[in-house]
Amino acid sequence: MKEYKKFEITAIPFNIDLISGILWELDITGINEDYNKLLVFADSNSRVNANSINAQLESLVKNNLLESFSVKENTLTDKNWNEEWEKTINVIPISERIVIKPSFRRYTPKNNEIVLEIDPKMSFGTGEHQTTKLVIKMLEKFVQAEQKILDVGSGTGVLAIAAVKLGGGKAIAIDNDEWCFENGIENVNANNCSDKIEIKHAEIADITEDNFDLITANINKNILLNIADDLISKLADNGILILSGILAQDEQDILKCYESSGVKLIGKEKMDEWISLALKHSK
Amino acid sequence: MAKKIAGYIKLQIPAGQANPSPPVGPALGQRGVNIMEFCKQFNAKTADKGGLIIPVVITVYADKSFTFITKTPPAAVLLRKAVNIEKGSAEPNKTKVAEVTQAQLQEIAELKMPDLNANDIEHAKNMIAGTARSMGITVVN
Repeated sequence: MKEYKKFEITAIPFNIDLISGILWELDITGINEDYNKLLVFADSNSRVNANSINAQLESLVKNNLLESFSVKENTLTDKNWNEEWEKTINVIPISERIVIKPSFRRYTPKNNEIVLEIDPKMSFGTGEHQTTKLVIKMLEKFVQAEQKILDVGSGTGVLAIAAVKLGGGKAIAIDNDEWCFENGIENVNANNCSDKIEIKHAEIADITEDNFDLITANINKNILLNIADDLISKLADNGILILSGILAQDEQDILKCYESSGVKLIGKEKMDEWISLALKHSK
Repeated sequence: MAKKIAGYIKLQIPAGQANPSPPVGPALGQRGVNIMEFCKQFNAKTADKGGLIIPVVITVYADKSFTFITKTPPAAVLLRKAVNIEKGSAEPNKTKVAEVTQAQLQEIAELKMPDLNANDIEHAKNMIAGTARSMGITVVN
């Protein structure tokens, strides 16, 4: 199991802006301002240690900006931090056809409803978030029988599972996060889709397959801008790309980037401040 | 009726880079907040801040829902960016590593003003100048 370095820091005076400002010179990942102490975190392979933190804070003492301080170093073992929240997940209706539920909730489907069973652990994609709902609504419009599908940034695997359950063909779902990779496999198995969906621990640049009829990517603005050419290069002629994780205010930045690379907007869904865009490739 | 507040979580994380590893996971997880939903929203709302360190105050409600506001980066972070250095001086009294202009101080003071305990902009500038000197950055006109 992955481990993190954790440093508990007290100081007099407890000037958070000053102390944290100098600590961010070190190779740390984040700070939790916890009442009268700072909890500072670093990856286990980071060069930061109690000595390097002491040296930083000592420089503030020398400049009469701190009177005193203490540093305690611990190790924190990774776990499913989302466990408490997971207990509160309910059955989530996405549309008239699709419902998402965690494994521990019972639900009897109505008529032809498709029920997706998702236990998220620490992966994104429970169906609660607007960005997931928007893509699934897009999938209901655009999935066709036997399409070859790619989901990038797959999280729980919910989008690939939805696409396959809606009638799509084989799917590859990729995520660069190890939790998501393992969780995606669990959810694919729970939905009896392992013969149609392959989950890969990978980046888009690692994928050798191409000519996908449908690609989904529910990530965020900066990553979507960075991987635009990769995504478009994986599309088949007339293939459809569904983007999500985009705030409405960022629509023009995304469209400018993607439309200049040869895809055209063919659909848009909006929910609260979030949007999802469907783009078509025509070589 | 306003929702009942269960507590506040204060974190500092790089803009656009929130993920479930510490500090985000443990801090939000122990209060039963959906970690990934926070990451999605934080990353979207700070996407244009170019990886700057962003203090964020998360209000957690009794029903486990949350809202958050972002604050201004620590003064030292803004100074390093303004004068384009990675680290301050280990011996600020002896070794100077950069110069910051009054105009740059003014800009940082104006940005930080809402989060500083300063009476006016001159007071804020003095506070930022103090941080600059402690890093071995000389204030010039």
